[in-house]
Amino acid sequence: MPHILIVGGSIAAATAAGTLRADGWDGAITILGEEEHPPYSRVPLSKGVIAGLLPVAATELPPLPGDVEVRTGQRAVALHGELRAVELADGSRVPYDGLVISTGASARRLAGAGQQGELVVRTLEDAEAIAARVGEARTAIIVGAGFLGMEVASTLVRLGLDVTVVDRDPPLQRLLGTYLAGVLVAAAVESGLRVLIAPDGVALAGNPVSGVSTREHGELSADLVVSAVGDLPNVEWLRTSGLPVQGGVVIDSRCAVAPDIVAAGDVTVQELVPGVFRRSPHWTSAVNQGRVAARTLLHAESASPTASYFWTEQFGCDVKLVGELPFDGEPRVVDGDVTKRSALLHWPRDDDFGAAASLNYRLPIVKLKALAAGAAAPAGGHP
Amino acid sequence: MGVEIVINKAACEGHGLCELTAPQVYGLDEEGQAVLKQPVNESNQAAAEAGARVCPVAAIEIRR
Repeated sequence: MPHILIVGGSIAAATAAGTLRADGWDGAITILGEEEHPPYSRVPLSKGVIAGLLPVAATELPPLPGDVEVRTGQRAVALHGELRAVELADGSRVPYDGLVISTGASARRLAGAGQQGELVVRTLEDAEAIAARVGEARTAIIVGAGFLGMEVASTLVRLGLDVTVVDRDPPLQRLLGTYLAGVLVAAAVESGLRVLIAPDGVALAGNPVSGVSTREHGELSADLVVSAVGDLPNVEWLRTSGLPVQGGVVIDSRCAVAPDIVAAGDVTVQELVPGVFRRSPHWTSAVNQGRVAARTLLHAESASPTASYFWTEQFGCDVKLVGELPFDGEPRVVDGDVTKRSALLHWPRDDDFGAAASLNYRLPIVKLKALAAGAAAPAGGHP
Repeated sequence: MGVEIVINKAACEGHGLCELTAPQVYGLDEEGQAVLKQPVNESNQAAAEAGARVCPVAAIEIRR
């Protein structure tokens, strides 16, 4: 019986498997996950599990179809394309007829050789390790002020900790642009977050880690030190595969990599313009790519590109965003009032690829997408 | 084997990923709330479940 093998066991994998079945594929499907859990949601980790504010059960996904075989604790070490087989850490080989690469990414770490105790937020175990320590903690330092770092900071502030974020760049600015980053950072500082900028970089101090060291601010210590400094696509196992890897595995707009091989999720990059490869490591991308990848394997159909959409929740700001980051310049305020932190914003462009954001403002996503693409101000939204 | 799909209106934040994944089953109403567009039966059950799985706020429950 023909066999589709999905290497990697997170939401891109679960979505690919679900789409294959929904589209009528009745051959065998196997998911090989490196973690010891079946696919789960990472979304609640930074938003609550790290602080014990949400139970581990909040990460559970609705079960996969019973006829999808999920093998946990299986790490792929090599792809033998000429044999149509994936080699596992124990030396065994798993054959496939169609392959989905969805091995995700791993947290980037800052610890030096032999330095123990670095905390990151990527897996359920990472989140539980932090949750086990927050009860005793009064102070926290978060290294990295991107989406993840700021969400972690927000959760810990909510729990009552004295929290400092430190980054080389101003928080969120590289991602969101100066305007929107400014709005969110103002809300964060108002909530009690301390923000330190260290352009020369941040090193972890102590062994086990007990603080950070910067040129600009010296040594700082805290009860809890969490690194949120990005993630690295898990592509080591593809090194000898001959597949195109540029930071991540290179996919086209149909998520195709090579004949009968597709990829989806945090492991992927797309070539935006020749020579420029970009990741889109968001839940929405993983879901969208998992779906498109499955359809490409089944139907070889061309996918219709969908506008980039993602969101963040931090410091009382619920922000939904459509468009390619960063959002440069001042937006047009379509409705609401930014000073009251409830507004609908539009960054127009001459082509159809503008950007739009809703800040604590209820509007169906399809309307936000239409606004980004230049449609007239939508009706029916409200703070 | 029938299933019932229950959308938790209080939890739904209108991200629309259910609709993206299974447009034949889910839609968004004027308020941006996820709604079932048709009853779930054997022919669309796999799609309904796939759409439930991608909800980032776990607002869609599959009851067997």
